[in-house]
Order: sequence, then C-alpha cells, then structure tokens
Amino acid sequence: MNRILSIVGWMVIAALGAGALGSIALHRGEPLNATWFVVAAVCCYLVAYRLYSAFVAAKVLALDETRATPCERHDDGRDFVPTNKWVLFGHHFAAIAGPGPLVGPTLAAQFGYLPGTLWLIAGAAFAGCVQDFVILFCSIRRDGKSVGQMAREEVSERGGFIAQLAVLAIMTILLAVVGLVVVNALKSSPWATFTLAMTIPIALLLGLYLRFVRPGRVLEASVMGVALVLFVVVAGQWVADSPSWSRVFTLSGVALAFAIIAYGFAASALPVWLLLAPRDYLSAFIKAGAIFSLAVGILFVRPQVLMPPLTRFIDGTGPVFAGKIFPFCFITIACGAISGFHSLISSGTTPKMILRESHARFIGYGAMLLESFVGVMAMVAACSMPPGVYFAINSPPSMVGGAGDAAAATISGWGYPLQAQTMTDLAHKVGEITLWNRAGGAPSLAVGMAQIFSGTIGGERLLSIWYHFAIMFEALFILTVLDAGTRVGRFMVQDLGGRVWKPFGRTGWMPGILLSSAIIVALWGYFLYQGVVDPLGGINSLWPIFGISNQLLAAVALVVASTILMKMGRLRWIWVTLLPMAWLVTITITASYQKIFDANPRIGFLAYANALAAQIAVGKIPAGKIAETQRLIFNQRLDAAVTGVLAAMILVLIVEALVHWYSILSRRKESMLHESPYIATRWAADYSGAAHGDD
Amino acid sequence: MRHAAKATSRLLRRLWRGLREWCGDAAYESYLRSKGGQSSSSRTLTPAEFYVEQLNRRYSRPNRCC
Repeated sequence: MNRILSIVGWMVIAALGAGALGSIALHRGEPLNATWFVVAAVCCYLVAYRLYSAFVAAKVLALDETRATPCERHDDGRDFVPTNKWVLFGHHFAAIAGPGPLVGPTLAAQFGYLPGTLWLIAGAAFAGCVQDFVILFCSIRRDGKSVGQMAREEVSERGGFIAQLAVLAIMTILLAVVGLVVVNALKSSPWATFTLAMTIPIALLLGLYLRFVRPGRVLEASVMGVALVLFVVVAGQWVADSPSWSRVFTLSGVALAFAIIAYGFAASALPVWLLLAPRDYLSAFIKAGAIFSLAVGILFVRPQVLMPPLTRFIDGTGPVFAGKIFPFCFITIACGAISGFHSLISSGTTPKMILRESHARFIGYGAMLLESFVGVMAMVAACSMPPGVYFAINSPPSMVGGAGDAAAATISGWGYPLQAQTMTDLAHKVGEITLWNRAGGAPSLAVGMAQIFSGTIGGERLLSIWYHFAIMFEALFILTVLDAGTRVGRFMVQDLGGRVWKPFGRTGWMPGILLSSAIIVALWGYFLYQGVVDPLGGINSLWPIFGISNQLLAAVALVVASTILMKMGRLRWIWVTLLPMAWLVTITITASYQKIFDANPRIGFLAYANALAAQIAVGKIPAGKIAETQRLIFNQRLDAAVTGVLAAMILVLIVEALVHWYSILSRRKESMLHESPYIATRWAADYSGAAHGDD
Repeated sequence: MRHAAKATSRLLRRLWRGLREWCGDAAYESYLRSKGGQSSSSRTLTPAEFYVEQLNRRYSRPNRCC
C-alpha cells in the first residue's frame, strides 16, 4: 500500500513539474508568475534526486555503507572530523555557493528567461550534481585527496599538471571578474561604498575578539558582527545624505579597483584570524539569511516575470555581452548548472568530514541542486523588472549611447520601452545617484531583490534600505571569495616558487609572503584594471574567459571521474560522466574559438584589436588617445592568448585521457586503482558525528 | 502535551547544536572528543592555539567557491 502511495506521489510531482516547465517554455504574451519557476524547478529537482541520483548511487558508484570513511580512519579533530550529514550539507553548500549562481543567470537574462532557466535545471541535474557527487565519492575513497592529486595518480602526471594550471588560471580570472562586479556595484555609490568599507573594521574587531577575548566563540561574535553590519547599512544613508561625507565615499571605477587590489593584498598577507576569517563568518551568516529571505520573498510576493522567454539578443548582438545562445549561455551560467570549481570543494574539506559513503548522495548531489535553485531565484529576480530597466542597468555606455534620453531611445528602439525619467525615479527610490550603465549583474540583481524584499516588508519606503542590503550582501561575499582566493593563490605561487628557490616556499617567511601576495594580486589586479577601463565593459571580455576556465576545470574533474569509473569496471555506466564531459568540451572549445577568431569585434578579441589598430592607422584616434588605444589592443591580444592557452589545455587533456583510456581498454597498461584499502566501519548505524557525542 | 514539549525541546537542542557545529563554534569540543585531542603522544591544544591552527589550515586551500 505504501509503495503504491509513493509511486502515485512521485507521479503527481513529476506531472506537476512537467506542467510547470511546459508553462514557462510555451508561455507567450502576458507576463508569467514566478511561482511557475519555483514549482518547475523544485519538482524537477525532487524527481532528479529521487531517480537519477539514486541510480548513480546504486549502479554507477555502488556506495558501500559498511566502509569506513576518511574521518573514521584518521579522526584527528582537525581536518578529519566526523560530522552530522545535515551540518555537512550546510558546510558544503556554504562553500560552493558563491556569487556565480547569482551573477551568471542575471547576465544570461539578456537572452530572455527561458534558455538560462532550462540550462540551470537540466545542467544541474545531469552534469553539475553528477560531477560534485562523483568527485566527492572518488575523494572519499582516496582519503580526501584533491582533484589534482587524483588526476596525477589515476590519469597521468600531465593530467595532474593541467589540473594545477587550470586551478591557477581559474583563480586569477575569477578574482578579477568578481572584483569587477564589486567595482560596478560600488561605482559612484557613496552609500554602498561606505557600507562595504565599514565591514573591514567590523571584521577586524571580530578578529581580535575571537583571537584574544573569547577564542573560537564564532556564534556570539557573528551575532554581534551581523548586528553591526545591519547598522552600517542603515547608517550608509546618513553618509549619502551628507554632502561632505558623500564626496569622500564617491569613488570612480579605477579608484575602487585599486582599493580592492590593496584590500586583497592585505587580506592575503595579514594573519588569517585578523581579517579574512571573521569576514568569512559574517559573510556566511548574511549569505544564508539573504538566500533564505529571497526564497521566502519570491513565494510571498509571487512577482510577475516581465522579461520575455526569448529576447531579440539570441542572435548574438546582446548589449550585456556579445555572442549567441550557443555556446555563450552555457559559458555565462557555469555555477548553478555545472562549475569546475566545485570539484575543489568536493575533493577538499567535505570528504574528510563525511560519516558514511551514502551521505555523498545527499551532500554532493543535493547541495548542487540547492545552488541551482539559487540560480533560478536570481533569474526570477532579474527578470521581474521591466526589460528596458534591466538593459539600462546592464548595458555599457558604448552600447546605449551613455545615459538619459538618448540611451532610453536606443533601448526603446530594441523593443523594450523605457523612459529616461523611469531610471531617474528608480535611482532616487533606491538611494543611488544613477543606475545607468552598471554592468556586472550585481546592481540589477539588487534592484530585483529589493523589489521582492520591499514587497514583503516595508513597501517602497524601505526600497533603498533593501537595495543597499542586497548590494552589501553581494559585495560582502564576493570579497570573501576574493580574499580567500588570493590567499590560496599566494600558497600556490609559493609552492611553485619554492621549487626554484626553497626559502620562497616557506609559508611563514615574511618576505616570501609579501612577494607571493604581490605576485598573485598583480596577476588578477591587471585583469581587473583592464576590465574597468574597457570601453565595451569588462564583463563582455572577462566573464566568458572566466566561464571557459571554470568549464575547463569541470572537464578535468569529469575526465578523472570517467577514468576512475573505467578502472572500477563500470564501463557500462561511464556515459554518466562522459556525456557531460563531451558537452563541456564542445561548448568550451566553440566559445574559445569564437572569442579568439570571430570577425565581429564585440565577440572576437583579435577582430577588436585589429579594428582598433586600423582606426589608429587611418588617423581616427586623436593623438592624446593613441597610447591608451594601444594598451587596449595589447589587452585584447592578451585575452586572446589566455583563451587560446585554456583551449589548448582542454585539447591536451582530452588527447591525454583518450590515450590513457585506450591503453586501459586494450590491456596494454595495467588498470591500477589508487583507492585506500577497505576497512569496515565500527560506528553504529545511528552515529551522527563528533559534536553529537552526547546524544 | 508533555510529550510534545519534550520533542520540541529536543528538536531545538539539536538545531542549536547543528548551528554551532555548522559555524565552527563547536570545533574545539569536537577536537577534544576526537582521537587527536585525546592522544597521549601529543599535547592537547588550548582553545586559542586550536582556533588559530584550524584557521591557518582551512584558509590554505580552496574553501570558497565562485
């Protein structure tokens, strides 16, 4: 009887999901309610989790409940800590969910809501969740080894080297692009700049409290910190209203870029307990609260989605970034659908804390589904504002002709009616000087979130507070990614440099710390600066490179996963990882080719460089601007070279994997699996972790 | 009624414990319970030493994603 009820229940969920998905895919004309998006996404996730992840767990990976996991084998209370599966789910989700699933879907909304939403749901179910789950499983079986170590052991030395390079590449581009998102969010906004600047002394205060007053009492310190941060969000309005203070905190893009670069250097070189860790605590609490509130807000307000399912920009002429749906929608939305960076988390902390192999399904597959849902919510928030407003906020001046009436006429001419006065009124309501040309995704997402939040609490009266709360939330955890990433990058630079000159590799040696911090900051700082001064808006060039590098890392992870499945004798099921890998390689190589060689200067780096060179040659560039233009030409060629190197790495990796697989299948090479030996678990079936010992 | 109150209090205690564990507030207690914390071969760290050591380790590898 129970079985019949269960089958009927799942059939109802599947039918509801299919109906909702059909509605958002086939709907034309009147605006659609956001509830359909939530129902479609949640039902698809439930069905994918119930059926597909169960299939992967049982058939493909054959999870073993009796096998001791790394935390039982090593149990040192430091890295290897047996952790309750719900707590570890929270840990893992907090680690994987960064700004990507918020910013990517917001940018991809220029194609309309449909392509991005479908990719978020299907990409997560069949690619992203599978990658996270399988890599987590592989790492559990190898005492928590990283994806790079597994690539070296299971594929080849060269595969491991490519993984290491991919991590450094993604780190550099990621930090530059998230820095650019923050710059565009804070540019000419004294309120937002003040709020974010104040989070630094708050974090320092917390750091000192946690180090000297009450060591490790994270919860009480975080409660104090969050209260202070909420206070400075409100206090920002007083700063914005004061003519003298407002001037101090009104900064240009270039000034903000240098401030962020200096901050990254300080966070990397200072002791981790002083600035980096306390900011991370603040960010984690605010992130969890804001994402939960957004979900509640969407369900409460049930906003209308005003963006059409498909816009005219599917033809590749989009103002936010240039390029057609294929491949650019799939490059723009990486996190939320599939993100290679997750493989670093799935093969880092999480496998060392997991209690049972069976928990890998809930944590690996489940947490990624939740991240995908965050992406769908971001899409709803971005699409619930009038399309004209969305394009006004996200288009660079070169695309719309600056701001005001001329820009409004351009956007209206695209078929998305807009009055210049609408933008003036909106900027006034949210407490900003202007909302024109704020590319990067963060301001438009903040407007969308603020409208949803104010629809729940406070109405239009609190719109400006909610807007700046949303900006603070985005910028705070973007900077957390930036400072944590810079520090990890510093260690990677020290590791590489230490091979050449030993003292440089010592992580406690101050000159080494300062020099390596300066190197990694200079690497991403250069790309950030280049993005800030780019007349096409840096997002157009940097975000696709970031997407390509992220998907390159995902390809590395899926090659590792496929190789391990092959060695485990699961050849029959290898399509589970092989198909997403083939898809990723196809989109990444296509996007790389187009970004380098496309004849359209807005897409192809070389075409843009050549167009600028031709303008200099015919004397179209004034003498005073020639040096600047030449720098722009150099940057375009550099971007082309970086993209080329990433594409070459993917091709080398694929050739490497194919050769390796051929030698395994033809039995020319012994298929050796580098798993830790089997040890039976001694924990009772209901044991739920170290901190639950007194249950 | 008493049963419901008991169940609620148990649930709240679990939620509180889960929250402390999630944010790292209970990390030192977990360390003391672990084999590493109870090992006679090495000195047990003080809360301040453990806090700094744990942060240095955690922030030397990718722990925040894009």
